[in-house]
Amino acid sequence: MSKLLNRSLKVFILYAAFVLACSIPVYYLIVDYIWKSELDEHNVIIGENIKKRIQSVPMTDVELEQSILLWNKLQPHAQIKSTDRGRPDSIYNIYKKREVTGEMDRFQGLITYFEYNGRYYCLMVETNIEESYETIAVITVITIVFFIILLGGLILLNRNLSKALWQPFYQILEKIRGFSLEKGQKITFDDTGISEFNELNESLDRLIKGNINVYQEQKEFTENVSHELQTPLAIVQSKLDLLLQDRELTTEQYNIINDAQAALGRSARINKTLLLFARIGNGQFADKEPVNLEELVHSNLDLLADFVKEKHLHAETEGLTVTANRLLVEMMVANLLLNAIRHSAADASISITLGNGTLKVANSGSAPLEQKNLFKRFMRAASHTPGTGLGLALVREICQRYGWEITYHFEEGMHVFRVAFS
Amino acid sequence: MKILIIEDEPQLAQSISEYLSVENYLCELAATFAEATEKITLYDYDCILLDLMLPGGDGMKILEEIRRQQKQDGVIIISARDSYNDKIKGLQTGADDYLAKPFHLPELAARVYSVIRRRNFNNTNIIQQHELQIDLLARTVNINNKPVILTRKEFNLLLYFMGNANRVISKNALAEHLSGDLADMMNSYDFVYAHIKNLKKKLNEAGCDNYLKTVYGTGYKWEV
Repeated sequence: MSKLLNRSLKVFILYAAFVLACSIPVYYLIVDYIWKSELDEHNVIIGENIKKRIQSVPMTDVELEQSILLWNKLQPHAQIKSTDRGRPDSIYNIYKKREVTGEMDRFQGLITYFEYNGRYYCLMVETNIEESYETIAVITVITIVFFIILLGGLILLNRNLSKALWQPFYQILEKIRGFSLEKGQKITFDDTGISEFNELNESLDRLIKGNINVYQEQKEFTENVSHELQTPLAIVQSKLDLLLQDRELTTEQYNIINDAQAALGRSARINKTLLLFARIGNGQFADKEPVNLEELVHSNLDLLADFVKEKHLHAETEGLTVTANRLLVEMMVANLLLNAIRHSAADASISITLGNGTLKVANSGSAPLEQKNLFKRFMRAASHTPGTGLGLALVREICQRYGWEITYHFEEGMHVFRVAFS
Repeated sequence: MKILIIEDEPQLAQSISEYLSVENYLCELAATFAEATEKITLYDYDCILLDLMLPGGDGMKILEEIRRQQKQDGVIIISARDSYNDKIKGLQTGADDYLAKPFHLPELAARVYSVIRRRNFNNTNIIQQHELQIDLLARTVNINNKPVILTRKEFNLLLYFMGNANRVISKNALAEHLSGDLADMMNSYDFVYAHIKNLKKKLNEAGCDNYLKTVYGTGYKWEV
């Protein structure tokens, strides 16, 4: 893609070339016209002089005849001939071969008439004039030289100007590029002293501030909603627990309450996780400490011991410490392990590898998962799975926060989730 | 046993009160900051259930006040504020426990039970129920003066049942008690049955009466 200034430069150069090209014939015509009129004037002066001198010397016809003969021999560029009558002056332009070298010379000529002793004579004065092709050649060469100077100058100026002119633009661009709504940091634009850029800055400033506000409000809204839901959930939960104590309860009614409780428990967990998302987004887990991942993996495996009893668990861990919020790292590890346990059959194998700056959690499976929606919220592998649909989204959220890379791929019949800590 | 429920949501306060009243607990309610402050100054309670967000002030101030007055009341914070920092701050200020909303009433009852035991029997922290003797401090169980070895989970489960004596506990409440947020991990509640089966077996083999009854197929009741 071409830069904006290069585009205008191209147009400028084409225009300059056009104007300069047009100037060549114009210059030629003007120069030639000046030449000719100057030389015509010159010829007239010479002609007048000659006529005056001749007329001031009294001569007989024979003497005049001889003088003209001699004159014509000595002065080939001012020939005198006798003629039958006087006519008005005329001018002409002629090319002649030079006698010595055979070169062609151009002459501007004047034919004028005078009377002597009652007889008419015509006087032809010729003056050498620059040949027209030479004039054109010289003008063309000079024009090309000027064009080259113009071209070089434009390119040079353009390069320097574009740097200076667009400097504020590139600064603005750099700032916008580094902006991320999630990080929520404000951008301050410097005064550029150029109205267009200042206008751009103002508009961008307004846009960004508006976005930050909307985003902030949305996050706060999520947090508030999730928070406000806790109490009604708690009330329903407590009422169901009370209802269970009713002595006249039938088994059928008990089962209904149980199902309601299970669903309620799930909504409570979804709500809790959403609250967690909002809190992470609001930067409420800012404090960092070194976290020993090896310890963390093993303590989580202990917690999950009930669920991995029937699976073939293979854990290979090396000491690895990351600096992050302990709670978040715990949540990430727990969710990865839970995910592997939850989505594998009873006798499936689960492998956990920690080392080389990566944590790898793999579980056996039959077919690759769809990559696109894997880490999105509420995207479940299957509708009947009991999870909240938020586990992997939470893992990604935490990874993003610390700039870790979470990837999924399917290899050798295993679903492999890999977190690269860098 | 006197319990003060400081909770601005009347429905919840009423449920808690009703559930706890079964177990010889006398429940009093306070719905506002002012009411709560007045009650804690005038009376002593065995356990105070404290909501942090109250009309008129922050529940944390009440906790500070209780500790400033050097009262020995046990305090369990019940709050919708479920952040790690709130929890840490609450416990550091002198709360005995912290339970995030929403919770199962049996869970709350079990915690109240533990807190009251810890507060009231500082020296001899032993619960005796017929042939069953539990040392809370050493976390050991004796039946007919013979020790029974229980795992950590089985021990907690036993205390949980005793704290909810004569009340029906659903498998959901049990699952959540045993695994917290992992409760809906599995489609089945196999692991709940497994732990209960083991606990029952150990108690029966040691000669303990069958206090733990199965009700409605999947619920349980500790009958005394």
